[in-house]
Amino acid sequence: VLVLVRSPLPRLRALLQRCWGRLERGLWPGIFGGQSPLWGPALAVQGPALVPQGIGDAVAPSLPESVVWMAAPKQRRTIEVNRCRRRNPSKLIEIKRNIDVCPECGNLKQKHVLCGYCYAKVKEETRLIRMEIYKKEAGPFNAPTVETVVLYEGEKPTEKDEGKRIIERARKRPSWFVQN
Amino acid sequence: SGAAWARGLLSWARPERWLPCGSVLPLSCIHTSTFLQKIGKWEKKNRIVYPPQLPGEPRRPAEIYHCRREIKYSKDKMWYLAKLIKGMSIDQALAQLEFSDKKGAKVIKEVLLEAQEMAVRKHNVEFKSNLHIAESQTGRGRYVKRLRCHGKGMFGMMKISRCHYFVKLVEGPPPPPEPPRTGFDQAKEYVQQLRSRTLVHTL
Repeated sequence: VLVLVRSPLPRLRALLQRCWGRLERGLWPGIFGGQSPLWGPALAVQGPALVPQGIGDAVAPSLPESVVWMAAPKQRRTIEVNRCRRRNPSKLIEIKRNIDVCPECGNLKQKHVLCGYCYAKVKEETRLIRMEIYKKEAGPFNAPTVETVVLYEGEKPTEKDEGKRIIERARKRPSWFVQN
Repeated sequence: SGAAWARGLLSWARPERWLPCGSVLPLSCIHTSTFLQKIGKWEKKNRIVYPPQLPGEPRRPAEIYHCRREIKYSKDKMWYLAKLIKGMSIDQALAQLEFSDKKGAKVIKEVLLEAQEMAVRKHNVEFKSNLHIAESQTGRGRYVKRLRCHGKGMFGMMKISRCHYFVKLVEGPPPPPEPPRTGFDQAKEYVQQLRSRTLVHTL
C-alpha cells in the first residue's frame, strides 16, 4: 500500500511566518515575559481573544458571491403595469396656457418671453448696423469715445447729435426704431 | 455566333437605360419615382373615394391622412406629443408644439403644416383653420443595433430607434371633451348591470 506522506516543512514555515508577522504588528505581545498586554486591563484573560484569528484569512467576497445581496427585479413587469406608470397624468405633457398673439407681427408668443419674429427682425437690423460700424472703424481697437447715432435715409443730424459719431444706413427708418 | 454576340452587346449598350429616370426620353422609364419597398397603409387611406352623397344626407366631413416615416426619435417619447395634440384644433396644436422643448415637436409641426397644405390644395377644404386632429399615433420604425464602447474594453449593444408619426385631420371644429365620469354615473352603470342580469340555463 502506497502512503503519501506530506512533508511538514512548508506548513511549519508558514506558521512561523504568520507568528512573526503578528509579533511585528504588536498583536501578540504576550510573548514578552508572559505579561498581559500593555493596553489591556490587568484582569484581562489571556487566551484566544488576544490572538485574533482570521486576519490573514479575511478576503473580500468575490463578485459571483456578492451578487446574492444586490437588488434585482423578481417578476417581469407586465405591460399593463408599465402602461399605468408611463401614462400617469404626472408624466403626460401639460398644455401651456400662456401663449398669446404678438400685437406687432401677429405671430404667437409666450406671455413672459419676447416675440421670436420681432426679436429676429431687430437682431438682423442690429447686425447690419454693426457691419456699417466695422466698415467705418476699419480694424480693432478703434472705437471712439463718443456716442453713436444711427441715421436712415433723408435724416439730418439734429443739434442734440453734435459730438456724436454718425452711422448711415441706406434704408427707410423701421417703424419700431424710434428716433431719440 | 458573331451575330448573337453583336445582339448581346447591343442589348447591353442600351442608351436609354443609362439616362436617369424622369429624363426627356418618352419611351423608357415610366416609373419616375425611386423604388419604394411598400406604400404604407396610412398613405393608401387618402385614395379612397366615396360615392356621391344623396341630396338629403348630412355633409360628410373631409378626412386627410398624413404621415412621416423613419423619424430619428423614440416612439415612446413621440407618443407623449401625439397624446398632447389628440383632439385639439389644428391652430391650438401648432401653438402647443411651437413652444414645446422636445425634438419631436418640430417634426410633428412640419407634418401638420404639410397636411394642412394638402387639405386645402387637394381635399377640397375651404378654411384651413377649420380642421381638427381626429387621430394622432406613433409607430415603431426600423431599429439598428450598434456597439457602444465603455471603459476597460467593455461594450454594450445599443439600439438606434426610429419612429413613424401618423395624423388624421378632419374638417370641422374639434369635438367637445368628454365630461369626466362621476360617482353618480358609475353607480348608475352598476345598477343597470344588476338589472340586466338574467337567469341562464333555465326555462
